[in-house]
Order: sequence, then C-alpha cells, then structure tokens
Amino acid sequence: MAMRLGALIPFFLVPATAQQLAISAHSLSNGMKVLIHEDHDIPNVAMYLFYKVGSRNERPGATGMSHFFEHMMFNGAKKYGPKQFDIQMEKNGGRNNAYTSRDITAYTDWFPTSSLELMFDLEADRIRDLAFDPKMIESERGVVYSERRNAIDNSNSGLLSEQLFATAYIAHPYQWPVVGWASDIEAWTIDDLKEHYRMGYAPNNCVLVLVGAVKEAEVLRLARKYLEPIPKQDPPPPVRTKEPPQLGERRVTLRRPDARAPLVYAAWHVPETRHADSLSLEVLSLVLSAGRSSRLHRRLVEKDQLALSVEASYQDGLDPSVFLINAQVRPGADPTAVEKALYDELDALGSSGLTGNELAKVRNQVLTSFYRQIRTIAGKANIIGQAEVFHGDYRKINSYAEDVQKISAADLQRVAKQYLTPTNRTVATLLPGREESR
Amino acid sequence: MKGVARIANCGAEAPRGLKPTLHALVMLAIVAPLAAQIKLPPFTRHTQPNGLTVLLAPRKDTPLVSFRALVRGGAEADPAELAGLTVVTAELLRRGTTTRTADQFAEQVDFLGATFTTAADESASLVSTEFLRKDTATALDLFADAILHPAFPEDEFKKALSQRIDAAKAAKDNPGRLNSLFFPVFYFGPNHPYGRPSDEISLAPIQRSNVIEQHRSLFVARNTTLIAVGDFDPPQLRALIGKTFASMPTGQPFAWTKGVADPKHSAARLLVVDKPDATQTYFIIAMPGIHRTHPDRVALWLINTLFGDRFTSMLNDELRVNSGLTYGAGSRVQTDRLTGAITINTFPQTQTTTQAIDLALDVLKRLTAKGIDTEQLSSSKAYVKGIYPTENLETSDQLAGVLSDLELYGLNRGEIDDLISRIDSVTLEQANTVARKYYRMENLQFCLTGQASKIKDSVSKYAKDMKVVSSSAPGIRIE
Repeated sequence: MAMRLGALIPFFLVPATAQQLAISAHSLSNGMKVLIHEDHDIPNVAMYLFYKVGSRNERPGATGMSHFFEHMMFNGAKKYGPKQFDIQMEKNGGRNNAYTSRDITAYTDWFPTSSLELMFDLEADRIRDLAFDPKMIESERGVVYSERRNAIDNSNSGLLSEQLFATAYIAHPYQWPVVGWASDIEAWTIDDLKEHYRMGYAPNNCVLVLVGAVKEAEVLRLARKYLEPIPKQDPPPPVRTKEPPQLGERRVTLRRPDARAPLVYAAWHVPETRHADSLSLEVLSLVLSAGRSSRLHRRLVEKDQLALSVEASYQDGLDPSVFLINAQVRPGADPTAVEKALYDELDALGSSGLTGNELAKVRNQVLTSFYRQIRTIAGKANIIGQAEVFHGDYRKINSYAEDVQKISAADLQRVAKQYLTPTNRTVATLLPGREESR
Repeated sequence: MKGVARIANCGAEAPRGLKPTLHALVMLAIVAPLAAQIKLPPFTRHTQPNGLTVLLAPRKDTPLVSFRALVRGGAEADPAELAGLTVVTAELLRRGTTTRTADQFAEQVDFLGATFTTAADESASLVSTEFLRKDTATALDLFADAILHPAFPEDEFKKALSQRIDAAKAAKDNPGRLNSLFFPVFYFGPNHPYGRPSDEISLAPIQRSNVIEQHRSLFVARNTTLIAVGDFDPPQLRALIGKTFASMPTGQPFAWTKGVADPKHSAARLLVVDKPDATQTYFIIAMPGIHRTHPDRVALWLINTLFGDRFTSMLNDELRVNSGLTYGAGSRVQTDRLTGAITINTFPQTQTTTQAIDLALDVLKRLTAKGIDTEQLSSSKAYVKGIYPTENLETSDQLAGVLSDLELYGLNRGEIDDLISRIDSVTLEQANTVARKYYRMENLQFCLTGQASKIKDSVSKYAKDMKVVSSSAPGIRIE
C-alpha cells in the first residue's frame, strides 16, 4: 500500500476493516476437513490437527485419558516406531507440541516447507496405525504424573482451579481435570487407551489446518495420498449429561500452610461458544481486566491495593461453559475484601453499564489483539482451527472484528446482569496458614 | 501438553523477564525464500545530534508497529545493596509524567489497544510498546513521555515498591520459581552483579530519590537505542522521532562494571531450599559457560541442542522418554555480557530425587566421554536452522529483539547474515572439542528446592559443601 499522499492527508493511513485471511476449505472423502491458508513470509509451515475429543468425552475412573492419549501419539506407530516421530521431525528442522482441553485434542507441528511430505506420512501413520507398547505406556504414565505434579500439585493456582471446576460442575464432565485425577493416572489400562483411540481418532472427527509457505494444490495432493485412504469411523457418542441450573452460591476453601499469597477464583455458568452471548461475554472480560485502565485492575490492584493481579476470561466450550475471574491477593491482604470489591464492580457494571469511551476502547483492544494473534503462522493455524471446531465455521475469524463492532454497551450490561449473579457463582479461595482450631 | 523443547528451560527461567535463551540469541535473520539464504532485513541506523541511536526496520505483514528503547545497565547498574532499583525505575516510567497521571497514561495506552511493558534484565532496561500504524503519532508521544518526562509521584512510588515487594514474596509460593530465584544467588555469589538477590530485603530501602537519580543517569541519549519495527514510512518516522527525542539529555553511556571475576568453584557445592509442601524436587546442576560474544557460541549452541535443548535431546530422552521420571529435562546456556552458567534442570518426584540426579550425571558423563557423532551434528544443524525463522523472524517484536541484542553486544550484521555458513562450517572435531571443554563432571554446583527432611541425607553424597536454607525465611538469602 503506502501511496504517498502528501502533507494534507493524515500521516498514517487507517485500515477500514480488519485484515482478511484467505482460507480455502476442502473435505476429504473420509470426512476429514482440510483448511489451507498460504503465507510465504517465512519458509516454514504450521500443520495443526484438531480432534474433537477431550476430557468431556471421558468417564469417572478413566479421567485424563484424552491427555494421556495425546502423549501416546508420540510413542510409535507401524511405519515409524517409538521415538521416530520426534527424531524424524527434528533432524528435518521441525518441532512439535500438542495440547488437550476439555473439548479437543490438538497436535501442532512446525517445520520447514521442505519437510511437508514427511509430515503427512508421519501424521497418517499414527492416525491409522498407532502402536500400544506396554513399556512405553508405563514410562509415559510416569511422565504424565509428573506433569500433574508440576502443573497442579505443586502449583497453588493449578490446585485451586481444579477445586473450582470440581465444585462449579456437579453433573457434567467439565468437573474433572484435563490431566486426570491422580488415582486414574495410576490405574489407566491399555484397553482404556485402545477404546479411546477408536472413539476419538476417526478422520471424520478431525480438522486439519495448514498455514505457511505451501501451495494449496500440493497440500491437497498430499492429503489425498496420505490421509484420504484412512477409513471413516463413528464419531464419539454425544455427551448426554447437561449441567443442571445452579440454585445458590457454592464455595470451596483450600488451605496451604506454606503459601504466602492467598488466591480468590470465581466461576459463573455461561453458555457454550456457539451461543449468541459468547462474544459479548468475551468482550466483557476485556472491559473487566484488559490493561491497567480496566475496571478490575484499577479497583483491586491500583485503588484498593488488595491484589497483585486480576484476570477475567470467557472459556470456550462445546457445552455450556464458565466465565472466570482469578485474583492473586497480596500477601497479608484480606480475601473477603477482594471478593467484596469484585462484586461491587460487577454490580456497578450491571446497574450503570459502560461509561465514557469504554466501548470504543475495548473495540480497539479486540482489533489489536486479533492482529497479534495472526502475526505468526502458528497463531493463524490455531485460531482457524478453533473457529472451525468451536463455532462450526472457520469463516468466523474473518467476521470477528465486524461482529465485535456490533456488540453494544447494552449487550455487555445485559450479560453482566444476567450471568454474573450470586446464585450462579462458585468461589474458590486458597488461604495461607493452618485452619484456626475451635 | 506434550511439553517439548520449551520445557528444557523450566525451573531456570530468568527472573527478570527479558532474557533470551541461546538460540533466541545467536541469531537473527529474516526470511528469504529459503532458510539457506537467511539475511538480515533492510534497516537503517543513525545517530541523532544528541547522541541517541535510532534503528528503523520497516515491514508490512500486519498494520502493527513495535517500538522499543534499549537502555544499557540493567542489574549491573543496581547499587549492590539496592538490587532491583533498575527494575523499579522502569516500572515507574508509566506511573505519572509531568503532564499525565498514572491513570491517564493507562487509559490512553489502553484506548489505542496498545501494549506497553517495561522490564530490566542483567544488562539493560527495556521499554516496549506495540500499536496500530494509524496511531503512530499518539503512541510515540506516550512512549516518549514515559521515557523523557516521568514525574515519579510519591504515592505511585510507594505503591509500586510495595507491590513489587509483595510480588517477590508471592513468587516464592511456586517451588520451580523459587529454585530459579535461588540459583543465581547461589552460583554467582554476592560479589557478582548477577548474584545479588532482588528481594523484599533489597527493595525495602529504595527511596524515591534513588529512582530519580537512576533515571537521570541511565535514560540519556548516549545510553539509549531506539528501535522501531513494523508498518511505517521510514523518512516520516525518522523525522517524527528526531523531533520527539531532540530534548533527551546527551549524558554518558553506562560504564560497564570492570574487573568482575567469573565465579570460580574449586569444589562441588550443594544448596537445598526447603519447601515442605513440595512433592517434587526442582533441581539445577551448573557448570561454567560462556558470555554472549564468545567465539565458541555457535558450536556450543549445536552441542547444547543435542544435550538438552530439544525433545529428543540426551537429557530428555533418558529422564523423560526412557524412564518416565519427569515431564521434561533439559539444559540451557546462559548468554549475557559476563560469563554465565550452563545448567541442567528438571523436577523428579521427591522419592526419585537421587535416581534422577544420578541419571542426569550419567548423561553428562556420556557426553564428556564419548562426544557426539556425525549424524547427531547434522541433525542439530538442521534443527537449529529449521526452527530459527519461527522463533526469531516472524513478528516485529521478535525482530526488534534481535536488533536490540546486536546493539547491546556490539555485534555486526554478519552475526546474522553469516549464520547459516557459520553453523555449516562447524566440524565434528570442533564440536567435540567444545563439548569436552564445557561439559565437565568436576566441581558441579547443585541447587535444589524440595522437602529437605526427605532428601537432605541422600543428596549429601554430591558435595561435601552442603547447605540447607528455609523458603519461609525472608528474601532469597543463603548466608
């Protein structure tokens, strides 16, 4: 762009709308969806596979199975045996990771374009012919247990979040931790793994996203060669349990004698991502905690000086989800005062709505944070896949900025009032020191 | 999460923010169609009449612009008894200027949807902001206001200091973080600028007058480099920066500490930080390494990748994949102005602490004794070249980071333009010479955080010189 228009025109030109990503969508005959976005800025590719299976598809006794399975996907298949997935990738200049959530399991590969065909071969091998080596299972069980100890048992925030979800949900599978309860980690069997593989790893249950220095035709040729021959299967059975409405506040307290800083976490039941209110709730989270001028930061961190940090977020979900507010209380400060200040702010928002230029500010924040997400091929691959899985339509990312502009101050006030109520909330508090004796 | 190479740094993170790992450092380059043609993108470098250096690198992938001010000094500029002063000074820049209150400043930054961060590491303070191209004039005005005209209001000073003190206390709640805070204090010791703890004890005596003086001496034109990367027109931006920063006082460049002795450890030592509620032991095993511009840096980068900086590394393969003892094990080469450490780190459960340390030492011994082979070297070369662009060249922020690194250490563009050929030219013999030179079994320094009552007897075999300190005592203090 950058036409030189002289001094009469503002220095820096304004984009009329957010940048659009050109994405081509295809379906293989086995039902796998393939989304491609070409980006030739760097000679690399992000290849993301989203399987629509997560901890919501598990059952008591085998919690954490989706996440354990995510680890097992790196432990050998028919053509490429144990360790070979990583060895082949790394010696060809690539690396990978993977993540599991309550709703999905995602595999994330980053590599130079020269390794594109190898990656299709590696991914097809493990989707089609994963091996279940008992020795690898035992070793990986130890790895996952260590991950749990690191992220939950030795992390005050991890421990408290686990308690919060276990208390907020009494029926729906969102109640258990993605990594699984310790007893289940100890007890998983090879048959649990095989059952999970059959349930979740159908090609028709997967969205494949490729972003980077690729040609669409070449990607399709490779997808047809390597992935299309894998037969279709039944997708995971629907999750039938629905969380019943919450009829009163729930509370849970956690004692940590060696802790210095208390924590106050709160959750309110809200609808799933596909619901019309999810975007308003997401924008509301920014009004509350994005930046130092946000309502909760200003009140809790700067004015009352009760917290070191506070963060509000809307959690994406295929099923009805939660709106979270997490505050790290200052050592020595009173967690109940934090709660009170928090509810004051929510009440003010519900009764008076937004003021001044708050709405314009939050729209600008949404736009720039969107640009930050699409700066990298990895960021683009992730949001394209998430839009397809959670909204059922990858095109949502191209209407996102516009959709946000349509959210009104009244929408934000309404969702605050409707969902962030005392009856609908669960509060989890972590307190330092020992409980006082009676 | 599966975990991967990132896990290699767990427990040994730089506490103050800005520190790149070796591979975030040795490089730089930007894209060309093929990795084999990595070259630094076009940028200009000029010096204003007052001595301010300005780097401009235009690029147009998204309508964002990234600015950063690199101010030399960092922890080296802290008076020994006031460690953390430079960080507190940086934090206060945004908390009130001569024309804006802290609230007004926050409101205006947020209204642009911009980011604004301040930090300081071992060698520099960094003020960074990122915003939409259309807001360049406003954002530059805010950025310059914070750097040139901070008012350091008394109430904001007190608030920021007390928040930082509380954050220092709260940081000790996490055992991995706790270990990473104790490590430099233990390894470098109180006579080295990297070994002075910035904790509630060193922060408490800081006065507003210290902050004002620190800003007056460091935030001067001859000690500052301004870097802009992103979607802008260079002549226009150059003119705007020239005007905005013309009033910055010339001052003097920071005088780096002279004659700092590298830590010399003539015997193995071991520190246990007692954290009674921990169910794992977080450990770091350290040996002497290199400084940022050391001639061995490329060969060491390749060796350390194989030893502990990727998923299939020797350490991760043994401690995670083969034995299931931990979620991840790795090694890291510190690269700062002064000679740093090479560290092995991981976190086994309490009961398998010595089993994991023994295994880590076995892996170290194997590297020391056997070195690496041709196939490993070629795999390491392909890996570092392949991942380089996604870690360093994709975003304006990454590129600004690379340019600051070159500026700070006085490196020229050959550091980047010749990177591929310097990687390719490392021979097996050179790599193994470097492996033997740095990865050594003697006088290792062990820093552990965990349940002292359960591990202190069994770990005493690693060093005669062993100390146990309590995590509940104030500060990050060993004596």
